[in-house]
Amino acid sequence: MNRPANTKGARRERDRRIRINAWASNHRDCALDTIRRMLAQPVATLMTLAVIGIALLLPALLYVAGSNLGQFTDRLEATNRLTVYLAPDISEQSISEIREALDNSELVGSLRFISSKQAAEDFARWSGLGDVLDSLAENPLPAAFVVQPTSADDGTLVSLQELLNGLSGVDQIQVDQRWLERLAGISRLIDRTVMTLVIILAFAVLFITGNSIRTLIANRQAEIRVMDLMGATRSYMARPFLYMGLWYGLFGGMAAWLLLQCMLLLLREPASTLLASYGPQYQLIGLGGIGAAALLLGSAGLGWLGAKLSVSRHLRALTRS
Amino acid sequence: MIRFDDVSKRYPGGHEALKQVSFDMNRGEMVFLTGRSGAGKSTLLKLLMLSEPLNQGQILVGGRNIHRLPANKIPYYRRRIGVVFQDHQLLFDRSVYDNVALPLQIDGYDKHEAARRVRAALDKVGLLSKEKLNPMTLSGGEQQRIGIARAVVNRPQILLADEPTGNLDPQLAAEIMALFEQFNQIGVSMLIASHDLSLITRLRHRILTLDHGQLIRDEHHPSRSGATAG
Repeated sequence: MNRPANTKGARRERDRRIRINAWASNHRDCALDTIRRMLAQPVATLMTLAVIGIALLLPALLYVAGSNLGQFTDRLEATNRLTVYLAPDISEQSISEIREALDNSELVGSLRFISSKQAAEDFARWSGLGDVLDSLAENPLPAAFVVQPTSADDGTLVSLQELLNGLSGVDQIQVDQRWLERLAGISRLIDRTVMTLVIILAFAVLFITGNSIRTLIANRQAEIRVMDLMGATRSYMARPFLYMGLWYGLFGGMAAWLLLQCMLLLLREPASTLLASYGPQYQLIGLGGIGAAALLLGSAGLGWLGAKLSVSRHLRALTRS
Repeated sequence: MIRFDDVSKRYPGGHEALKQVSFDMNRGEMVFLTGRSGAGKSTLLKLLMLSEPLNQGQILVGGRNIHRLPANKIPYYRRRIGVVFQDHQLLFDRSVYDNVALPLQIDGYDKHEAARRVRAALDKVGLLSKEKLNPMTLSGGEQQRIGIARAVVNRPQILLADEPTGNLDPQLAAEIMALFEQFNQIGVSMLIASHDLSLITRLRHRILTLDHGQLIRDEHHPSRSGATAG
């Protein structure tokens, strides 16, 4: 067979392997060396990380606030139920008239009747105050229809209210969860604020890392010039700075996470008490695993990008035109 | 090996550093480049290192027009050329060893192979025992020898040196030149800029003389082999 070609191919293969190994070990060296450099200047490093951490803390904090509010809004999304309380002395006749009117209305999606007896039982079960009710001579709770409109928009609600107001025997109409709707509005507002802040502060992180990298490049000008003349490629010269940006971002993100955990620790007691007052299903939610991962990935990515933008600009200025 | 073809270089601001310079240099040749300060010696070397663009003419190295190389090929061209600077351009944040190893790191050498070559280069310049020291603690002559070790560690085909003995006393300068001659004897093409005429005439190699950017003299010393072409 073609032996010379084979040995040549084998040599090329070996060279290629050596090069890949060298490339991988250069990555490892850069990754470790940049961390060593960060540790060698602890004050400067800590300050940069703190600035990045604080910049990232704000959106993370708002995100957590938003997801806590979301507990209320998510659960009852798009439900604008009406509770129609009937007059206490209403006759069976009137009740069936109202039921008929609601059944025939195309505004009504579903309808549920709660008799005053059932209302008393429910109340006793939820509140544990059954004895109080029993001690009363008469059941004070009115019968009610719970109306689920076909649509949650305001027009439907208004038409439904008009329809109900025209019926006799209707005592009071309560639009349930109106406050939840407002809460949902606040929650949307927070979401939007988070988004805007994330964008603005992402730029801040880009500028912070970019500026730190610029200083580092300035400090290593001589080295870069020498390496350039010795035939270092741009990506080789950029590599340590990109790792630096990556670490700044990642550790800055960790700083943000730590700060957030500290704040949650401080807030835990009052926030839990407040939330628990709305029901046992409501608890203080933290950032969570996915949120933390997103924060770290995002911040590491931003650090890298900030370094990348800075490096390509400044390396070009330092090396050949 | 190296061919300058009607090369002119004008710096922004109008200073004409080189005017229509043409010469040929053979593989394995050792050539001195001399002339007063500002005659264009450094510019000529910078054009060869591709650290300055030229305005006119062409420079062929190994038959290739180097100023036409695409940007991504320039690093690989530079790896084939060793450069010794007057101010040696050593990095004082690392040891002698790491300074010399730099070109090998850049070229992606395996660490063991790199170690072997670094030690061989340091041995050649007589500084093997000082590999762990910081170059800042060494004398000017030693620093220049580290610079030379760094320039040859990658076994370049061409070695350029810009006033390599400029800061050294005559005896050290002669030692450095002797070192260059040894590298030349193993086949490295050398182009050495120096204004130290008394030193380089003694060495009896080819001498190119620049004056105000023009090549005014090209003296061969036929007593030496490899110095006959031109």
